[in-house]
Amino acid sequence: MAARLSSFFRGIGKGFRHFFMYFIQGDLPTKLSYLIMGAGCFLRGQIVKGLLYLAVQAGYILYLVNFGAAYVAKLDTLGDVTQTKEFDPALGFSVIKPGDNSMLILLYGVFSLLLGVVVLVLYLRNIKEAWENQQTIASGGRLPGLRDDVRELFNRRFHVTVLSVPTVLTILFTVVPLIFMILMAFTNYNREHQPPGNLFTWVGTENFSQALWGNPLWSRTFLKLFLWTMVWAFFATFLNYIFGILLALLINQKGVKGKKFWRTVFITTVAVPQFVSLLLISKFLHDQGALNNILQNLGIIDSPMPFLSNGTVAKVTVIIVNLWVGIPYTMLISSGVLMNIPEDLYEASKIDGASGAKQFFNITMPYMLQVTTPYLITQFVGNINNFNVIYLLTAGDPKSLSLYQAGETDLLVTWLYKLTVNEQNYALASTIGIFIFVICAVVSLLTYNRSKAVQEEDRFQ
Amino acid sequence: MKKRIVSVVTALAMASMLAACGSSSGGAATTTAGGEASTAAATTEAATGEASTAAETPAGGEASGEAVTLKVWGPQEEQALLQEMTESFKAQYPDKNFAIELGVVSEADAYARYSEDPAAAADVFAFANDQLRDFVNAGGLYEVEREGDLAYINNEINALAVDSASLDGSIWAYPETADNGYFLYYDSSVFTKEDVKDLDSMLAKADAAGKKIFMDVSNGWYIASFFIGNGGVLALSDSGAQECDFNNEAGLAAAQGIQTFVESPAFLTGDDAILISGIQDGSIAAGVSGTWNAEAISEALGDNYAATKLPEYTTGDGNKVQMSSFGGTKLVGVNSQSAHPAEAMDLAMWLTNEENQVKRFEARQIGPANIKAADSDAVRANIALAALAEQSLYAVSQKDVGGNYWTPAEAFGTALENGEATDLQQMLDDMVSQITQ
Amino acid sequence: MKKKENRNAIATYIVLGIMSLVWLFPIVWLVLQSFRETPAGAFTKHLLPDTYTAENYTKLFTDTTLFNYPRWFRNTLIVAIASCIVSTVIVLLTAYAFSRLRFKARKPMMNVILVLGMFPGFMSMIAIYHILKAFGLVQSLFSLVLVYSGGAAMGYYVAKGFFDTIPRSIDEAALIDGATKNQVFWKISLPLSKPVIIYTVLQSFIAPWVDFIFVSVIMKDNYNNYTIALGLYQMLTRENITKYFTQFCAGAVLIAIPITLLFIFMQKYYVGGVTAGGAKG
Repeated sequence: MAARLSSFFRGIGKGFRHFFMYFIQGDLPTKLSYLIMGAGCFLRGQIVKGLLYLAVQAGYILYLVNFGAAYVAKLDTLGDVTQTKEFDPALGFSVIKPGDNSMLILLYGVFSLLLGVVVLVLYLRNIKEAWENQQTIASGGRLPGLRDDVRELFNRRFHVTVLSVPTVLTILFTVVPLIFMILMAFTNYNREHQPPGNLFTWVGTENFSQALWGNPLWSRTFLKLFLWTMVWAFFATFLNYIFGILLALLINQKGVKGKKFWRTVFITTVAVPQFVSLLLISKFLHDQGALNNILQNLGIIDSPMPFLSNGTVAKVTVIIVNLWVGIPYTMLISSGVLMNIPEDLYEASKIDGASGAKQFFNITMPYMLQVTTPYLITQFVGNINNFNVIYLLTAGDPKSLSLYQAGETDLLVTWLYKLTVNEQNYALASTIGIFIFVICAVVSLLTYNRSKAVQEEDRFQ
Repeated sequence: MKKRIVSVVTALAMASMLAACGSSSGGAATTTAGGEASTAAATTEAATGEASTAAETPAGGEASGEAVTLKVWGPQEEQALLQEMTESFKAQYPDKNFAIELGVVSEADAYARYSEDPAAAADVFAFANDQLRDFVNAGGLYEVEREGDLAYINNEINALAVDSASLDGSIWAYPETADNGYFLYYDSSVFTKEDVKDLDSMLAKADAAGKKIFMDVSNGWYIASFFIGNGGVLALSDSGAQECDFNNEAGLAAAQGIQTFVESPAFLTGDDAILISGIQDGSIAAGVSGTWNAEAISEALGDNYAATKLPEYTTGDGNKVQMSSFGGTKLVGVNSQSAHPAEAMDLAMWLTNEENQVKRFEARQIGPANIKAADSDAVRANIALAALAEQSLYAVSQKDVGGNYWTPAEAFGTALENGEATDLQQMLDDMVSQITQ
Repeated sequence: MKKKENRNAIATYIVLGIMSLVWLFPIVWLVLQSFRETPAGAFTKHLLPDTYTAENYTKLFTDTTLFNYPRWFRNTLIVAIASCIVSTVIVLLTAYAFSRLRFKARKPMMNVILVLGMFPGFMSMIAIYHILKAFGLVQSLFSLVLVYSGGAAMGYYVAKGFFDTIPRSIDEAALIDGATKNQVFWKISLPLSKPVIIYTVLQSFIAPWVDFIFVSVIMKDNYNNYTIALGLYQMLTRENITKYFTQFCAGAVLIAIPITLLFIFMQKYYVGGVTAGGAKG
């Protein structure tokens, strides 16, 4: 780790040195690139590339002047003009004069800065490219033309082509909102500071101390829900995984007829939206619902089973119902992967006299784990954040007095949702969000990078 | 060709991104930098608006040129009605060139949709009165200050509805309906008019008939009727903190009353769907609910359909206490970000005037907040609305209930229903400490 | 030996049969509810309705003043097809890049993407709405396509795992023959990845049919551009649920049809393993 850090800083130092060195040793087009992006390309005949660089620069300046700068400038206070009203005797009422909107300042400010970072990267690239062009010419080489660049993009630099669109979309729809949310945890964006009438501003780490030890009921709720979230995520992930694979194996068996039919049967359950199927299931399991009614009529039970109304029972119920939701998905994924297990592995072990169970543990599972560890990790994290199943099935109920604004089956994420909806306490919600985020990130980065899937990703290639 | 398209994809994405931001900046930036300019414009527009409102006559040729664009939010069920009302509004002000746009947002979702983007929200919108505090807190509403509007609301709207639109001594919105409350539906073949005055006698009779009495006790909205009936207070202090005294002696007595109720074999809890299905199959003989279920219940009970105020219940210390309730309304508010506030107020007034409240009742059987509109044979003949009006004598407005109240109250009710109640006083203390957090 | 195999097969069918019953039960119940005429209302204690009617279905298409089901269905179909194509391409390309291409930023990018998916998504909705607004795109079907496919890259793991199992020797042979990496992807890797394409296509096709939270933030008051899930949700408000619950069920059954059809159509690509006919030998 330390070695990696030091090399990182050395890299930065080197970058700075080069930045100045290229300027001092650069010729006119190179020097001009420091001021006008693309000059180093344009003046040396790479017209299109040069123009593109220029367009980036011009575009960003235009963007800042027309839109971004106003927000960036107010980022330090998140706005200082409050909405005011002034009585107008002619009209008979006080006319409202809108003020700043702190939320938009924060969001568009972050957006503009992030866009700036992207432009900066391109700017540095433009300088590096100008320098490289200068070197190539000095050594008598030929500069790559547009055609060569394009060809490169489909071969040696194919990853740039492939990843550019996903990267742009991810930055736009994931990274910007994420930074926005993280920053929100350092503000007082709560019920008392709702736009458009109020401003909110930076409050440092106040929300964190509040969340950790400010309020005992609060911390207790956090801890309890955290534990249940982990229990839920564990069972929801691994039970689904194992049973999903078993189901896929069952269907994939050589002798089984009607494979397509069986798969379709299970997929229809995926095809019905969860908000419908879970609604029906919760009605079915209700104290007065059909299942209790049937069981009572059959004389199996005297009084209704509290499938969803008793805290402990409800926890078991949601895990079981989640099997119904999740197994078809795992079946779908593993069917494909299972087919890729080299047949000769099985045949070899058959010759050695291995039983079905032995084959499953010695061949199938290692192979599946190898390929699907990243999937498992994301499933685990996905279950920590599994809003839908809990919210649609129980909405976190039954509520409990020992929890703050939460019910027995609430996960941290559904609790967060309730905090934002009931209390509009976005700042505190973001703070908890960051806690969840840090926990998930540490756990998954450690497991992910230690997993065989990553360390030996070429094993089956 | 295909290759070239892909090759410039990065650069293009970048450039188009910038272009798009640049071009739309005019609209979005008004919230900050352009704020001043747009308000100035609004003021001049508003000035011309005033001329016409004051005189109720055409103000001259000068106003007819510029279109006044207003957007109205209402629930989907009311779109046709709103269309009709806005048309008549336009006819009322022929000198103005109104462009009125309708958008579908239900009264229940109004604040959620509003807070996501106040600037793009409607100029005039209907919302449930429990969102009033949120709206006022956020500075989202124009206060009702015009004398004509105030006179109308104070003189012609029923007091509970006016109260539901008031906060901190000001009126913030135009009451549109007085329908969001609950009362008792019952099967008149099981209970007499005398029976339904007292919960105990109802329970006894229902039990004898093998039928149930339905109330969703594990819901803060309904369970409050016991506490508030016995003198409990839910209020907001000047600083906006929630106050609640449900854990005092009277509260404990009320809680014991609830416990007796839920432990009765004739008690049944659940949601609306369970109430309806129970009434349909005859297993439920009485239930606490609101006007939105009137149609289904009257259909199911036929000639035996009846409704009245909530009964009296017996507290832990043996007193008979009339159950209270929350009385809610739907309000029409004017967006503080509106560019045409004066016209928006005119429209809000129009949508809530007597004539249109009558229309709304005729079309949708919704109880009017306007006293005269409610004072008609047709409204009185409506069994559910009559019961609601009867109960409204004991109802309190819901505006003093903050977001912290609902979950602990529900948790308390759930514990009682599940028979998990051990130490009532302790539970009440826990509940109150959460509510007043 | 033969006997034992037979016994195995029978056991398999019994297990599969029982499981199918359990899995299909809620679906069958849904279908029954969608044909329920009486008892009316949103809740029944009994499994079977008393009387049946097809009106719940016909009304969806004839009585559109309150709930414009056909229009929402069309909207959703458009969004689903578009975002399905876009996200499938994005997922496969991303997975391919991380599995097959080697470049400096590969590991860091994979880690970043892994971490990015860990913040509760609903908290980003309002931010996404305002970003789309800055682009002038809100309340349009196009913006929904962007939202549904915008995060697609983050779900590349399954596809990457699959690509990892395709022997590298196949690519290398093609590269030696002078193919570009672009051609290798389209002509070699893609055709070998059909099972995982099914999964990706199906998942991205389903998203627009089932999401009702994101779409409500993006569409707001524009009823005409609602998708089916949000539209159906309007039938569940306390004013509507008693009257419209059975229609709601009918609407939900119809959603399942295009998704199931898509799956049945794609089933044929589930043929054999890659290695079975591949270059392993």
